[in-house]
Amino acid sequence: MNVVSRGIKNATRSPLRNGAIVLMLAISIGLVLSMLVARSSVRTKINDVMASAGTKVTINAAGINGFAGGGNPLTAANVTTIKDTAHVSSITSTLTDQLGTSDTNLVSSIDLGSFGARQNRFFDSGSTTITPSDGSAPSGDTTTRPEIKPRISVTGTTNPNSSSVNGGSLTISSGKTIDATGSDLVALVGKNLATKNNLSTGSTFTAYGKTITVSGIYSTGNTFTDNGVIMPLATLQSLTSQPGAVTSIAATIDSSANVDSTVAALKKSLGDSVDVTSDAAQAETSVSALQGIASLSLAGVIGAAIAATTIILLAMVIVVRERRREIGVLKAIGGSNLKVVGQFVVESLTITITAAIVGLALGILVSGPMTNALADSSSSRPSSATTTMMRPGAGGGFGRGFSQLRTNFSNITASLTPQIFLSAVGITLGVAILGSLLPAWLIARVRPAEVLRTE
Amino acid sequence: MLAVKKLTKKFSAPSGDVQALSDISLKVESGQFVSIIGKSGSGKSTLLSMLGALDIPTSGSIEVDGVDLAKLSSKQQTSYRAKTIGFVFQQYNLIPNLSALENVMLALEFGGHKSAGRREEAARLLKQVGLDDQQIQRKPARLSGGQQQRVAIARAIANNPALILADEPTGNLDSETGQKIFDLLHKLSRSQNTTIIAVTHDLDIAGKTDKTFTLKDGKITTK
Repeated sequence: MNVVSRGIKNATRSPLRNGAIVLMLAISIGLVLSMLVARSSVRTKINDVMASAGTKVTINAAGINGFAGGGNPLTAANVTTIKDTAHVSSITSTLTDQLGTSDTNLVSSIDLGSFGARQNRFFDSGSTTITPSDGSAPSGDTTTRPEIKPRISVTGTTNPNSSSVNGGSLTISSGKTIDATGSDLVALVGKNLATKNNLSTGSTFTAYGKTITVSGIYSTGNTFTDNGVIMPLATLQSLTSQPGAVTSIAATIDSSANVDSTVAALKKSLGDSVDVTSDAAQAETSVSALQGIASLSLAGVIGAAIAATTIILLAMVIVVRERRREIGVLKAIGGSNLKVVGQFVVESLTITITAAIVGLALGILVSGPMTNALADSSSSRPSSATTTMMRPGAGGGFGRGFSQLRTNFSNITASLTPQIFLSAVGITLGVAILGSLLPAWLIARVRPAEVLRTE
Repeated sequence: MLAVKKLTKKFSAPSGDVQALSDISLKVESGQFVSIIGKSGSGKSTLLSMLGALDIPTSGSIEVDGVDLAKLSSKQQTSYRAKTIGFVFQQYNLIPNLSALENVMLALEFGGHKSAGRREEAARLLKQVGLDDQQIQRKPARLSGGQQQRVAIARAIANNPALILADEPTGNLDSETGQKIFDLLHKLSRSQNTTIIAVTHDLDIAGKTDKTFTLKDGKITTK
């Protein structure tokens, strides 16, 4: 028997009470680990988002917003100016257009619906007259107009994989991608559009009077985007007789520190004919809810650590008060303060370490679900729901980037790294030490003569 | 061996200072078995606490083998309690979750006995005071009062102390068991030349010791 073995033995002295203490401590320690994992995972996500978006600048032709608005596209000269601007490391140029029934033999996979009817009420196309009573016109609109069919978006780009083209989630489900730097009559077709028109790799369709070959079928998880066609920029420029024209450019800046100055330089050189915006601001907004989770997680770590410290502190204070006479006897028969305090510290450590083993195992099990639950609860808050909830088919050119927040939440992966685990162990040790300080002080103050005289 | 000179102890109380011991002087030679008798509150246990370096005098001195206890540092007092004296309490004061053997091993550890051989030495001491192999493995709650006091005595003599301080060692025992415990202490005093100072109410037992001091209101009235 020595100080350590006596301390360990004492930890099993009241199995029921110490078991309850271990359980409460374990829950607190498990919570500490879960919150550390949640915080770390969210911080990683925030850093990823900021790193990817923090250096992005979008240049749009002024007045054009998706397929709405008006104005003139950017010119080849504009593109050259942007390319040559200091700190611009790369650009992705995009030209968007819509295929109406007279432009293509493709049929849209999206139903018009009342939303589409309202959006299209200014256009005059098709041949079949409809009336408001069929439900496709806005309520109260009694105007008689020709039948309208949803159009198909077509995007010409220098990089089909750019998030500015597809929201960053394009996958080729069959076939292969296109050579976006070329001008071949090839295209990637969205999976919904391909299904609607029985297209597969190698199939052809007509657009702008030309035969286009399907190079591959893509999927983005977005109903609007999956009803589209992506082709090389030069091809679309040629097909639409708009040589050199682009509607949008996504520029990557060499460093986030140079973003503001580059935006200023672009605005100055391009004038009022373009809108230059930094994605960093949008990214900040996008990750603000994640910042909330990170703060909440940190508060959780602190709260759980305080709870754990309080539990072990109160438990050991009660133990010391109960065993005052025993402490007095130990000192009376020659036990030094160091040995007597050491015995109780070992007892405290034994309880805490036992709780830590249970708690850390518990934390490993629940950290993933807890991180997801935090992300889900935050993403479903009203402030963010307005930007994440989109009906299939709606949005598209107007909503590009709005899905980023949803992506932020859905892509959070809870991962327990050795550093996080060691942090949790460190906090646990801190809890044990802090929880032992007051009891140790109380033990040191016990005077055997007083205890043996009064008790 | 033990010399107490003009020992005074006062305690502070809400109603004012309480004089527990007043101008106590006594001498005890090595190997003597001394008893201290007196009514409750006469200062017997306070005197024992002073002799055991559990408390410090208000004035006066206690010298054991020429060493003034009041001048010992806290660390030296701890060492003194571990090696020079052994305590036997009326309530036994054994550690409840340790076996009889482990209680004695604890005293050996505090006395600086090497861990190797500690168990064997504790078993030898317990057998010396009359416990068998099964009894030494039991926890205090599973031993009788007399057996617990034997364990306490084995614990007190574990480090071959020069002085054993016994506070009502037979107070919780029936007369027959009390007599046996007294005989055990008497035997130790004689065989190991250990000085024993025992506080007792039992005048029969006091009458069999080498010397008896009577305390009344904190003062020695008879020697």
